[in-house]
Amino acid sequence: MSALAPAGLMTNRKKLEDLVVDVFLLDPKEFHLDLKREEIETWDSLGVVSLAVGVQETFGHHFTQDEAVGITGIRDIIGILEARGISFDA
Amino acid sequence: MRSPKTRDLAWLKTIPKSAAVLRASASVQARVGAELGLPSISSFGDIAAGASTLIVAGGGCLMDEAKHFRARRRPMLNPMLNLILVPSIWGSGAETSPITVLNCEGGKRIASGDEFLPDTVVYWPELLATVPPARAKHACGDAWAHTLEAFLSPLASDSLRGQLATLIGEMLRLPLAADPRWFQASARAAALQAGASVGLVHGIAHVLEYPLRARYPGEDWGHARLCAIFLLPVMRLNRAASPKWADLARQYAIDEAAVWHVLHQLFAPEGLAAALPFLHENWMQILRDPCTRTNGALIRPRHLSEIAQQAAV
Repeated sequence: MSALAPAGLMTNRKKLEDLVVDVFLLDPKEFHLDLKREEIETWDSLGVVSLAVGVQETFGHHFTQDEAVGITGIRDIIGILEARGISFDA
Repeated sequence: MRSPKTRDLAWLKTIPKSAAVLRASASVQARVGAELGLPSISSFGDIAAGASTLIVAGGGCLMDEAKHFRARRRPMLNPMLNLILVPSIWGSGAETSPITVLNCEGGKRIASGDEFLPDTVVYWPELLATVPPARAKHACGDAWAHTLEAFLSPLASDSLRGQLATLIGEMLRLPLAADPRWFQASARAAALQAGASVGLVHGIAHVLEYPLRARYPGEDWGHARLCAIFLLPVMRLNRAASPKWADLARQYAIDEAAVWHVLHQLFAPEGLAAALPFLHENWMQILRDPCTRTNGALIRPRHLSEIAQQAAV
């Protein structure tokens, strides 16, 4: 998938990768699915707010407060969204 | 949060002068000094140890400096120093806000707390005669930026948005010019945004003010002007990035067309063009600014080009 592919043609995994890279201002090479909150300097309380805004815009899900503060890494975000019927297969 | 008392000039004239000291900005120094019969000191460090009342007349920067001085430095010398703020222009709402924004090399330092609130605010409408029309318009932009960014803030509650929507309706009836009603409106905007946050407009203003002032020392590249210039491009970005603005405007019965009309009046394309090289140079710092990170829509690195394109519109 090209980095410039229209959002509508992206897989959800790619959308999440772009979102996390943009929210936390990462180098795309730093992204992997096992990334943890403590590994990302910009994933502080304001990072949680930005992430919540981005997830709502991208996937249409508004994190509850418990969800937002309980996320410890990328796989937790996927777990929350999959529980809402958003698939991350392939 | 406690609220400072609100008084007028007649009350201010009754303050015992023997233990009072005045610090006023250059634009109002002669007028305020003559009216109160007090000379103006040039630095907060010049306050005599025996002084019990500090009167500060000026804009947001000077008032914030005074709030910070009284709360953080003066208590060691005299914990009872009474602080009276006299805003010479509206917009920042600094006179009633528990937030201080201090200039420091390379940017701004933001602090918040009840200890920064003054004891008394004196509104002196005649001082508005000293405000040039361009600065008056910029000050309106500052108040509008507080109001709209707080309304869209992800940290705003339903109740706060309701109060901000009411304020938006009232501000739509005010001219983008000197009018004493702006004092109350901008003070309310500042107090309400303190309960949520602001967004990208403030992130840009905080980061760009210092380099623009350094590059163009004779021009008015202050916070308010940057707010006025960037409010339209940023609101366009918010509208394109998310349906949030349209949804909330509908939900709170905001006259969207009237708001966009105001934003177009505040916008200055030549100002955006002049600021654009600095926006490019400092974009990553702007993205890291705490205000940018609580913008109503997520601001991504690629959004720089969308703002830049508007200089050509």
